[in-house]
Amino acid sequence: MSIEVQNVTKKFGDFVALDDVSVSLPTGQLTALLGPSGGGKSTLLRIIAGLDTADSGTINIEGTDATRLPAQKRGVGFVFQHYAVFKHMTVAKNVAFGLEIRKRPKAEIEHRVEQLLELVHLSQFSHRLPSQLSGGQRQRMALARALAVEPKVLLLDEPFGALDAKVRKELREWLRRLHDEVHVTTVFVTHDQEEALEVADEIVVINEGRVEQIGTPDQLYDEPANDFVMGFLGEVTQLGSIQLRPHDIELSTAPGLAGAISGEVTRCLRVGFEVRLVVRTEGGDVTVVLTRTHARSLEIAEGSRVWLTAASGATTVPAMVAV
Amino acid sequence: MLWFSLLVLIPLAAVIAAAGEGGWDGYFQVLRNDQTWAAVTLTVGQAGIVALVNIVIGTVIAWVLVRDQFWGKRLLDVIIDVPFALPTIVAGLVLLSLYGPNSPLGVHWAFTEHAVTLALAFVTLPFVVRTVQPVLEELEADVEEAAASLGANRSTILRRIILPSLAPAIAAGAALSFARAISEYGSLVLLSGNRPFETEVVSVRVLTFIENGSTGSAAALASVMLVVALVVIVTLDIVQRRVARRG
Ligand SMILES: Nc1ncnc2c1ncn2[C@@H]1O[C@H](COP(=O)(O)OP(=O)(O)OP(=O)(O)O)[C@@H](O)[C@H]1O
Ligand SMILES: [Mg+2]
Repeated sequence: MSIEVQNVTKKFGDFVALDDVSVSLPTGQLTALLGPSGGGKSTLLRIIAGLDTADSGTINIEGTDATRLPAQKRGVGFVFQHYAVFKHMTVAKNVAFGLEIRKRPKAEIEHRVEQLLELVHLSQFSHRLPSQLSGGQRQRMALARALAVEPKVLLLDEPFGALDAKVRKELREWLRRLHDEVHVTTVFVTHDQEEALEVADEIVVINEGRVEQIGTPDQLYDEPANDFVMGFLGEVTQLGSIQLRPHDIELSTAPGLAGAISGEVTRCLRVGFEVRLVVRTEGGDVTVVLTRTHARSLEIAEGSRVWLTAASGATTVPAMVAV
Repeated sequence: MLWFSLLVLIPLAAVIAAAGEGGWDGYFQVLRNDQTWAAVTLTVGQAGIVALVNIVIGTVIAWVLVRDQFWGKRLLDVIIDVPFALPTIVAGLVLLSLYGPNSPLGVHWAFTEHAVTLALAFVTLPFVVRTVQPVLEELEADVEEAAASLGANRSTILRRIILPSLAPAIAAGAALSFARAISEYGSLVLLSGNRPFETEVVSVRVLTFIENGSTGSAAALASVMLVVALVVIVTLDIVQRRVARRG
């Protein structure tokens, strides 16, 4: 195990930001900390990095007890959401910072900086100041800077959070490829479930200071531990006494299947290749998603009477008792 | 730009024109006068000392105001501006009563060179504090955290991250306090005693010239101070760029 967090609790005044959190992250993996805003993701990451201290519990990094080590000695690379660039230094100087502090020979530093800038595709910008870079470029520079000192683990706090959707997507694919190249144990925080599902080997879902579930993207998506995880990883709707994904509902225009719930289509919305229906049943409105071709073959329109069942193999969790 | 020209350039041009009236001869005549020369060295020397003191003390005060929490912080923050708010002649009076012949502190510095230093330090104190403070407030905590996680200890962070970021503000504040110091009059007239060769500063000397009707000499001296001010401001700017780049 590369990072071992045990029974960590952190309070800000009376507010419990982390409540007895334990997580083990194996060496060489790319892990996502996923959860809603204010859930405690940054707090956990900062405690691992030594930028905050836990009230109780222990942190172990690569076999050494790091609980009382200052940030300087933890061998952790940290990338911040807002880049945290050293404004007055050139790109190359930013990347060289950690090495210069370690008093490495000049030639070695130069060589290493060159390598890293190549890795993050910023070679031609080495003499620029950070203010002359785009957000995505700044973040790649920050990443190179963190990697320069060969950290045991790399921690990224919403690294792409301040970027627009397109750049975000590019960068997260690039991060995945980079990780496959460099193989340093990496933890990144995100509240974007798509980002986590797409790039992470493993996802830790954190909500209100507690770990809700740890697992691979498939496990989380297919076997959510509870309705929170289910709801957080994708859209859910309630059919009878279960919760499931709208595309896991089978729809027919005639009664027949046992346990089918009948209802009337009240809204029919076409979005690209799919059709979203809102079906009014006795138990409330149900959202159903089907492909356009399928909807056309069933001749569905607003006002149609339909019967709904959960598709076989659908991911379901029991619905919370309605209040 | 036009506004700037009207406001700044025309008076400057007028001073230089007036100085030029006496020809080069008159110009050097003024400077060769020992009493004038003493006043110039005293003023520039004292202004330099005060600027240096302000660089250190002003930065420390700004740091304390931004980074430390203590009782009375808000009060201190307000008090810093008092030298600005006080008419300088009043400042002179206050200082005289503190350090003059009847000093309650037992410090009898009035009419000495120390008096000049003291008065100048008092009236220029806010400059560096007020230029550095906002920059320090704007410094993002995560930049220092990034440096720490890269292995930098407190003193390295201070030297390589914080000070270079503050350098432009410190230089600007120092330039302001230097410029203010070489032109200070009000707070000095009472406290320094205006003894020729000892505590007479340039502004007092200029006034004496004017009172004696030798406007040309006054303008010549003024233009010299103008050059001194320019040289110092440019030098500070160069130094600041060096420090900021060294990082
Ligand atoms: N320094 C602090 N002082 C007081 N409360 C804090 C502090 N830092 C965080 N908190 C609180 O702790 C909780 C968790 O914060 P944290 O920053 O870890 O959330 P997060 O999961 O990273 O959220 P986001 O996705 O919005 O960044 C929040 O409710 C926040 O208000
Ligand atoms: Mg956060």
